[in-house]
Amino acid sequence: MSLKKELLKHLSDGVVEMEEEEVAEAAEKFLEAGYPAFDGIMEGLVDGMNRASKLYEEEEYFVTDVLLCSDAMYAGLDILRPHLAEEEDEAKIKGVIGVVEGDTHDIGKNLVKIMLETAGFEMIDLGRDVPLQQFVEKAREEGAQLICMSTLMTTSMGGMETVIRMLDEAGMRGNVKVMIGGGPISQKYADKIGADGYSSNAVEAVKLAKNLLSIA
Amino acid sequence: MHRDDNMTPIERLTAFMSGQPMDRILAIPVVCSMSGKAGGMTHQEKRSSAKNEAAAQIACYNRFGNDLLIAEYGLHGVGHALGSKMSDPVNSVPAIIDYALENLADVDKLDSEALTLKRDAKFRLHLETVKILVSQMGQEVPVGVLASGPFTAASSVYKLENLLRASIKDKENLHRLIRFCTDGLKLVYREFIAAGAMILFCDPIASGTIISRRQYLDFVLPYTKELMQEIHDLGGMVCYHICGNTTGIVADMVESGCDMLSIDNKVSLTMTKELVGHKVPILGNVDPVEVLILGDEEDVDAAVRKCIGEAYDSQCGYILASGCDLNGDVPLENLDAFMAAARKYGKYPIKPENWSV
Repeated sequence: MSLKKELLKHLSDGVVEMEEEEVAEAAEKFLEAGYPAFDGIMEGLVDGMNRASKLYEEEEYFVTDVLLCSDAMYAGLDILRPHLAEEEDEAKIKGVIGVVEGDTHDIGKNLVKIMLETAGFEMIDLGRDVPLQQFVEKAREEGAQLICMSTLMTTSMGGMETVIRMLDEAGMRGNVKVMIGGGPISQKYADKIGADGYSSNAVEAVKLAKNLLSIA
Repeated sequence: MHRDDNMTPIERLTAFMSGQPMDRILAIPVVCSMSGKAGGMTHQEKRSSAKNEAAAQIACYNRFGNDLLIAEYGLHGVGHALGSKMSDPVNSVPAIIDYALENLADVDKLDSEALTLKRDAKFRLHLETVKILVSQMGQEVPVGVLASGPFTAASSVYKLENLLRASIKDKENLHRLIRFCTDGLKLVYREFIAAGAMILFCDPIASGTIISRRQYLDFVLPYTKELMQEIHDLGGMVCYHICGNTTGIVADMVESGCDMLSIDNKVSLTMTKELVGHKVPILGNVDPVEVLILGDEEDVDAAVRKCIGEAYDSQCGYILASGCDLNGDVPLENLDAFMAAARKYGKYPIKPENWSV
């Protein structure tokens, strides 16, 4: 195995095995050896995160595992990202993501954000307990094509419908796809409030986003 | 007695526990967060005083004839008492904005005195609610208090994402935090039991949707067993509920020693009946969102009929309930329909003819 392949494998395995330090070390070596940061991210870190997603789908991994895998991925990203050639970090599709007002449970939102970033989206994270107007304003400001909202609480579900109405009123509804998710959310609810899609977990969310935006 | 029934909820529960006949199946839509709506109050008004909390519950009972009045200590009670900051929305449930514990290594600095009645005004309010309900309605309707389990209590003190990381990387301190919460909850349960409330033990963060069975067995079940034992030592009764998909831990949950088990709509009632129906009475699991909040009266009727049909013959008994708590978006007419369907399909003696004709 060439050194490059070996280091890529370390990066990918380190993510799957949740080893932050090993990933950071492999990322340093990858740069020292003069390989392009872009390859390290895509073929190493993202590859590892994709494998972790698969294990999650197969119920081998749980939320906690995916969270620790993503910690390891970010440890590598922190090192590799500053070395990306500029054009490689541009022209990404932008999305706005947040937990709607009234709820502060953001673990699902964070996982979706990680997975979408892994898949090449640029995600603008509004955080949790987000005032509804902010989804609309930020999407306009950033020229986002995607709005992702989540909640774990039935008591704050109604906010999602309000955001969709606000987008209508602002004349922006045609320009953005709205995806929703979270414990009490369902396809039926998505249909009822006129969202473009619903996904039950973070891995599905990536497929849905690509589907909605017709990305291969 | 409620105008549509022939027994009071107390008489019905007593009959249920002793295997005697009753007029209809016990029916418990979880009318907690939504109760202000039945009493013509916003959530903020409802939660502002014990008098309002109690009035909202009584308004629910007067309208629906549901079999349990529900006060709350709440899911965030421990965190709030220790200093977690909460939002104050007009018409929804407050959420945690900042957590009392920033760094898990500081767990030993948490002050258990903060959880006492003397120091915690919210706790006093909730206890007062129970006292009002027991004194005004206790002869007719059982009173329960919705209180958090140990894992959810811990997540109200320390941010969940970090708590999950600690379940792998800092087990020792996480165990100390859950130990602290467990000891605190004992004091809380003690007061509510002394006031005459049944404990509705809710541990939503321990859901299979969030943690694995391995984590449940390590961080949740041992503490839960201890709390169940404490409740029984104090002469209390307890119903155990975890939200979301608990399919993989239903049998473990019953190991805790709970008196009743409540399941959410993501779990099969038939599977639960087969697995643990011979050990405890089962409550569940009409879908709170799709059916009760988003559905119409016909959907509610069909869902109640399906639940009763699946579980009415569970060996230790079956209580019709919503899968989880309901928010203020639930149409009150759907709860009328829930009770009407309970009276129709759950009329004693319950038999398939009730719903097959």
